[in-house]
Amino acid sequence: MAQPESIFCGSADHGLSRRGFLGAAGAATAGTFAADMTRLDGLKNPLLAGQVKRQQKSVILLWLAGGASQFETWDPKPGQSTGGPYAKIKTSANDVHISELLPKMAQRMNHTAIIRSINSKIGDHGGGASLMETGRVKDPGLIYPDIGAIAARELGRADSQVPDYVSMYTSTEGRRKGTSGFLGARYAPMFLSDKQIPDNMRRLDAISDIDHQDRAALRDLLSNRFIKARHSEKINSHTTAYSRVHGLMSSEKLFDIEQEPESVRAKYGPRQFAQQCLIARRLVEAGTPFVKVARAWWDSHGQNFETHRELCADLDHAMSTLLDDLEERGLLKNTLVVTLGEFGRTPKINASLGRDHFANAWSCSLSGCGVQGGSFYGRTEPEGNTVADGEVGAAEVFATILEALGIDHEKEYMIGSRPIPLSDFGAKPIKQVLA
Amino acid sequence: MFRLCLTIASIFLCAQVPLSAAEMLPADQPMESVIDHYVDDLIKTNDVQTALQIDEHILVRRLTLDLAGRIPTTAELHAFVSSDPTTRRAELVNKLLASPDFIDHHRNELQVLLEYPARRNDNDFRKYLLWATEQNRPWDSMFRDMLAGDENDEYQKAALQFVKHRAKSLDDLTNDTAILFFGVNVSCAKCHDHPLVEDWKQDHYYGMQSFFSRTYLTKKQSLGEKFYGDVKFTTTAGVEKQAQFMFLNGAIVKDGTPELNDDSRKKYDELIKKLQQDDKVEVSYPEFRPRERLVETASHKDNDAFLARNIVNRIWQRLTGRGIVDPPDQLHSENLPSHPELLDWLARDTVEHEYDLKRLIRGIVLSKSYSRSSEWNSAADPPSSHYFAVAIPRPLSPRQYAMSLLVATRNPPHWEQWLTKPSEDWKKERTGLENSTNSWDDTFEIPGENFQIAVDEALFFSNNDRIENDFLRDSGDRLVGHLKKLDDPQAAVSAAFAAVNSRPPTKDEKKVIVEYLDSRKDDSPAAIKQVVWALLTGPELRFNH
Repeated sequence: MAQPESIFCGSADHGLSRRGFLGAAGAATAGTFAADMTRLDGLKNPLLAGQVKRQQKSVILLWLAGGASQFETWDPKPGQSTGGPYAKIKTSANDVHISELLPKMAQRMNHTAIIRSINSKIGDHGGGASLMETGRVKDPGLIYPDIGAIAARELGRADSQVPDYVSMYTSTEGRRKGTSGFLGARYAPMFLSDKQIPDNMRRLDAISDIDHQDRAALRDLLSNRFIKARHSEKINSHTTAYSRVHGLMSSEKLFDIEQEPESVRAKYGPRQFAQQCLIARRLVEAGTPFVKVARAWWDSHGQNFETHRELCADLDHAMSTLLDDLEERGLLKNTLVVTLGEFGRTPKINASLGRDHFANAWSCSLSGCGVQGGSFYGRTEPEGNTVADGEVGAAEVFATILEALGIDHEKEYMIGSRPIPLSDFGAKPIKQVLA
Repeated sequence: MFRLCLTIASIFLCAQVPLSAAEMLPADQPMESVIDHYVDDLIKTNDVQTALQIDEHILVRRLTLDLAGRIPTTAELHAFVSSDPTTRRAELVNKLLASPDFIDHHRNELQVLLEYPARRNDNDFRKYLLWATEQNRPWDSMFRDMLAGDENDEYQKAALQFVKHRAKSLDDLTNDTAILFFGVNVSCAKCHDHPLVEDWKQDHYYGMQSFFSRTYLTKKQSLGEKFYGDVKFTTTAGVEKQAQFMFLNGAIVKDGTPELNDDSRKKYDELIKKLQQDDKVEVSYPEFRPRERLVETASHKDNDAFLARNIVNRIWQRLTGRGIVDPPDQLHSENLPSHPELLDWLARDTVEHEYDLKRLIRGIVLSKSYSRSSEWNSAADPPSSHYFAVAIPRPLSPRQYAMSLLVATRNPPHWEQWLTKPSEDWKKERTGLENSTNSWDDTFEIPGENFQIAVDEALFFSNNDRIENDFLRDSGDRLVGHLKKLDDPQAAVSAAFAAVNSRPPTKDEKKVIVEYLDSRKDDSPAAIKQVVWALLTGPELRFNH
């Protein structure tokens, strides 16, 4: 144990003596804390953000909860009996047409690749979501981590001072927390539902800032001997968790979009989904490897076309603003933006003018990091009933996302004596959409 | 899927390895000495260095956490330390095993195990487990209650929640039963036979599944079993096969389904359809009930190695932090038990003593192997955990942690009365404490394989007002209030350490804290709170070490 004499100066000037305590015993804590503050301040300025150019890669997953229609988004079929009322439009990528409901994205397709040939087979919300989140069918003996937990683990830093997996959701329908499965709670998402700021990020008024710092330093000091005498990953995870507290608390402002200049906020506008995309951009910029923003509820069993007119407008605006903002800051080449949901929607238009669950031939999009912008992969037959060419499943989509981020999708985790590869056994990434 | 399963399938072979009678110690030798014999034997054979035995403070803490599900109160701590060193350990073990604390704690542990992998906190199931642990119900009887209990019996009906929760997924029912009762993860054999081990085939997976394939839930949420129905599967060679009712060791149960013509099949189909749609229809059962036959077969003396070894291994893991087979659902040729003779001896003992889990727990915690220190201060790496030469620090379960926080933060003198009061009074107090932990149960993660403590927990302790209000309140009935009243920094530090860490502070610890308190004379109550917070959030309380 450090010499106790040097820790408390015993001065009558409490402010001074308290700083002395922190300075000696809590040097590491205080140091990291200060460095982190500087970094966050620096990131307010897009120019500075460019200067501290990170190699670090990130994902923003725009989760279209309930299942968006491929016809009204990435795989339009105007003129077909299944096509619905909307036209397709040309995009900034040659040969790629998308639904007229996404006009702003059409101008930005040079950043985006579309996969149009997903046959994921599972057509119920729970099963479909679990499949697309983890890239494989549920195994009764093992809880798989989802893509966010894997990204947090592979792209994050163990001692990260920012959250490394944030999941935002506002609708009560289809709300899913996400799971880190066998990777353990270290990689579990920070989940936000009814609030914009995560729980327990803010110091209580009942305790002063100095006391808050002091007791943490005292805790570390008293724990040292115990930790040093034991060799345990579990104990280390406890230590790591507490060492991240003050960094995370200072990252609270990442969730506060008031910190953004008015001009930036104006671009995103007043709607919640876009504002959450702005929070996602702030997090990614500060080093968060994975942010999920869920937008609900696309489950248009009735009035599919009105639903999509409204939701696509929201998606089109939020996603295009996000891509512009990321590009302007030099972050797009290291940030992968994905649109995905649990499945697509039926070609058949039902009696309520709705489309039902459909997992046999649907689409997703990838933009930015590691992606061959302006490309598309796979084809559905003219009415969209089946995949005509390049059929892929959840595992291939999963492997493609990992490869785009530069993560070896065949890397294995050892669970006991079982080797578990990051993407499901035998899955191959779709090279055609990768840069 | 293929590689996942490479090693899984040789369970059958392992189960067949005959016990070496010459090496098995006699059945009447005390369990604790048998444990130490086998554990020490492996340590000596491999020339492994061991950690020291723990001192009396850590011992009373470890035993109380393992048998009562909480840390000892200050009163219990002092009473133990000042009692006769030659008899106090056995006396404490016996006292704790007879206490209401053990019933609650053992129930909580079984609940976490049996609700795997979900976290249901099902009230009916909890009620059943409490009833079963109150009377130390034999494990094979509990196995029967949970898989094939009688719906007309209040408690057995609650036990059937085990099946009901999984009734919608045949795979879950098959796999969870194999994992939790037999220590075998068969899920891989679903898709293909094992390529290297002849004996492990898809037949085993589908054989296991066939015991459950007729199980269904009626509209009334009763558990029914259909009157006929086969499990068919396609081999990797593309051949369709019909599964037999086959247990994991290959034992076959004769199919007792009567020959049915198309008409009676149709009649039964309609009946089942009705039961699934209409909650007024009374459920009726066939003569041949596969789940009951599974229970009979698995408990039969020719086949009971799976049932017995698994529960021995699970209890061993609970008390030491690692299974003799580790991980506990992976008994196969590339993952042999670290101490095969010990596992067999304990399994034999458990069967011969009617699956008495209390007896098993008692034997383990009385062994010297159990009471080694978790400290390793040598420059050399610690020996592999499978030697049990150094204790493995175990994170507390959510309820153990919550209960320990509640115990630590009461004013210490409060606990003195229970040393002399009748046990009936303590039972009431303990039930109150147990109920108080209900609201904390979801706050912490359940420790499992690859467990890590999440930053959410650290943020919660750092900033949530429940910590401030429940654990740091300075009223007279709380630890902080008590320390404040002492008005003596030296005494306060000793009392805080006894309450939270179950030991006296070291000289250095005392010095640091006393100086901190001295430097904060401007606001002593706040300073005391910070000290208590620093101890409550320390790893020393968070782990059973």
